[in-house]
Amino acid sequence: MRVGVLGIGKTPHKIQHQKSLRDLIVEAGTKAMDDAGVAPRDIQALYLGNAASPGFNYENSTGLMGAHHLGIVPSPAVRVEAACGTGAWALHLGCVAILSGLYDTVMVLGAEKMNDLATVEGTSVIAQAADSKEEYFSGLTFPSGVALTARKYMQVYGLSEEDLAHTSVKNHYYGARNPYAHLRFECTVEEVMRSAKVADPLKLFEVCPMTDASSALVLCREEILRDQPDKPQVYVTATQMGTGTWYAASDTLDDAYNLLAKPAQKAYQMAGISSADIDVAEIYNSFAIQEPLGVEALGFAEQGEGWKGAADGSTWMDGPTAVNLSGGLLCKGHPLGATGATQAVDVVEQLRGTAPPDMQRADAANGISACRGGPGSVAAIHVYQRLEG
Amino acid sequence: MTVSAIEFTRLGPPKLRLHAMRCTSCDTLHPWWERFFCYSCGGTELVEQELEGKGELTNYTVVYYPPRDFLGQEPYVVGHITMDEGVLMPAPVVDVPADEVEVGTRVRATLRRMKLGHEGDVYYGQKFVVDETS
Amino acid sequence: MADLLSYGAYLPRYRVSLGEIQKFYGRPGRPRAKMLATPALDEDPITMAFEAAGEALAGQPSPGAVIVATQAPPVGLRKTSATLADALGLSDATALDVGANPSGLLDAFAIGARMAEADDRPVLVVASDHLVSYAERVADMLSAGGATAFLIGPSGGFATLGVRTRARREVFDVWRLGTEPEARYRLEVLFDAYGSTAGEALGSLERESGRATGDYAAVAASQPHPQTLRALGRAGVTQEQLAATSFVGEIGNIGAASAGLALALALDAVGAGDAVALFGYGGGEGIAQAIEVTGAPPAIDAASRIAGSEIPLGTYYRWTRGRQAEPH
Repeated sequence: MRVGVLGIGKTPHKIQHQKSLRDLIVEAGTKAMDDAGVAPRDIQALYLGNAASPGFNYENSTGLMGAHHLGIVPSPAVRVEAACGTGAWALHLGCVAILSGLYDTVMVLGAEKMNDLATVEGTSVIAQAADSKEEYFSGLTFPSGVALTARKYMQVYGLSEEDLAHTSVKNHYYGARNPYAHLRFECTVEEVMRSAKVADPLKLFEVCPMTDASSALVLCREEILRDQPDKPQVYVTATQMGTGTWYAASDTLDDAYNLLAKPAQKAYQMAGISSADIDVAEIYNSFAIQEPLGVEALGFAEQGEGWKGAADGSTWMDGPTAVNLSGGLLCKGHPLGATGATQAVDVVEQLRGTAPPDMQRADAANGISACRGGPGSVAAIHVYQRLEG
Repeated sequence: MTVSAIEFTRLGPPKLRLHAMRCTSCDTLHPWWERFFCYSCGGTELVEQELEGKGELTNYTVVYYPPRDFLGQEPYVVGHITMDEGVLMPAPVVDVPADEVEVGTRVRATLRRMKLGHEGDVYYGQKFVVDETS
Repeated sequence: MADLLSYGAYLPRYRVSLGEIQKFYGRPGRPRAKMLATPALDEDPITMAFEAAGEALAGQPSPGAVIVATQAPPVGLRKTSATLADALGLSDATALDVGANPSGLLDAFAIGARMAEADDRPVLVVASDHLVSYAERVADMLSAGGATAFLIGPSGGFATLGVRTRARREVFDVWRLGTEPEARYRLEVLFDAYGSTAGEALGSLERESGRATGDYAAVAASQPHPQTLRALGRAGVTQEQLAATSFVGEIGNIGAASAGLALALALDAVGAGDAVALFGYGGGEGIAQAIEVTGAPPAIDAASRIAGSEIPLGTYYRWTRGRQAEPH
């Protein structure tokens, strides 16, 4: 498959009290249309990913709101929701729309505004993505659910908290260089270890902040982008999705691996490449432990060794596969519905060569984004390639 | 957040008793929320089975940033307890300092207040304490 | 006559220093209790009753009725006993709430004994309370929490519930107007009325049972304040008879559960052939009952639960304030 990426756009990722959810949506969508060189009337469908506006903003039909204020009316629009995998699901639907032949040009957009509520209330809204009536009823939160996975991983592979701390060090190194990131400071292993406990063993520098942001892409039929050779020839060449258990209690380490590994294997096949061909990867890491798990599932390391790349340099910018050169969700934050779309935008920037120089991988031609969601329930893998000629 | 006293009618009463769900086709015990579908065999007939109340802590974390209903109780331990009947039960473990909890500790279930609902409806539920008798 | 088959007791783990509370409010004078037994934020009379009941029900036949005595039902216009029965898996049992005053346990015994005999089936009686007072009022009310449970059967137990006597005065000593959240009190009236009704009820007990007050191996009395235990002395009760059963100076006033904890402590300390005098006082009414111990009590070592873990003052107030949190 080849779906053309005609344009991309994103807002800064941070707390933005002056901007409402619709302000963010219009900002990202407009930037993407301008980058694509299209007008709102050219967008034939809008897939707007937003995970929790009923909870965070008391607004339900975010897709309809986006369509109106972006000027996309009368083209169809819908709100897409799949917990933390929302943005990637919007991307999947955008690809499916193009591949179906029903649409030539669509917009994929992800947006979330988390900071109109206080953190303690926001935490409860986020928990509604899991089973807040049963499993999460008795005091479990997303950080604590993931903390249980982290402890299991350390137990099974005999690792220390210091071993896992390197992931935060790498993400913060690049986050400090990303003008769009929420957290822009470097840190050392010692500083990670000293940071405040959130849900033991996870510490503050191992969990993402609550962020307001939006990101968007304009996708088109392959021929439309081919016919504009002056535009960067970046295409989505695979989209593979899956689900897993909705319960942290049933999420074993093998489940966590298979959740991403199975669609990843299919995605490599679909794109006609292997994991060794990947130059840059954006791997979902709202909590640091998820990066090693994703590195393993995508085939960049053996199970139990995914954490090493951050320590030995192999997942840094010049290593075999650079992971999270954007600073990852640890630094960009995890605006739930925007994340999957932001990952796509960030990979595309790498393949275009337009990221800031100190976080731009040289000659990046093949990229992958891995997004996940829920306690262990959503998997979304996309492969992107720069195709000359 | 809870929705209303109407919702309590469905959600509240089952939490008064410690139970799991047993698949009538393959006899596998699942956590109490698996009322519809057995992922072990694909069966769709599951029945309630009460549990004795004792088990072993096989994993845990300590929550420092609680959701609103648990404010004032932090830091608190949330554990994965493998019940003696074999099913995994997630629940808080209380009345023990967080730094004295270890994987392998024997625990038993007890009744505690879970939350004061949106309309003043009171939810009780299962928490665990260290089992002094074992 | 009905028998006691088993018993249980639950005290929350946590203790707060009454001296610290008094210091905070600038209240002079020696604290009348060392510590107050403080239920955690996720505990209340139902959860504490559940624990005590679990101990009393272990290995016992299933009761046909659940009677709860409490001054602090977690929810009004609903029966505490009904929710407790559901939680214990006794949804078919008759559920009764008794009380609103600290002698509720004695009333529950009276009702429970008759029901056990009439239905030839055990009855579970639970006295559970969590008293909450604010600011320096805690220094007077010694508000604390705990629960005790007793399984009463028609026969075959280790002790028999014997003669019961009652004395009454129309007084206002500790009371709460219907619309108010906290109790009002006039302690001088309490000490007076407690002492005089104790004298009268124990005197009647002596006459009707033929056993002198001094012949009981132990006296188990509800104890809202150490002064009330001293008042028992004027009614002919000796220090030795209260030695094993005095605890208000250690953990405070646990309301309806007070008489129950005293009884559990007494039963732990006595043997076959002994008799225990149970006394409960509330709202001007003093009730005394003789309990004849016929076999070795299934002791639970309640005394080992008096000690607990101290919590700082800030935690105490966060938890007692938390109880008043608005639904959201």
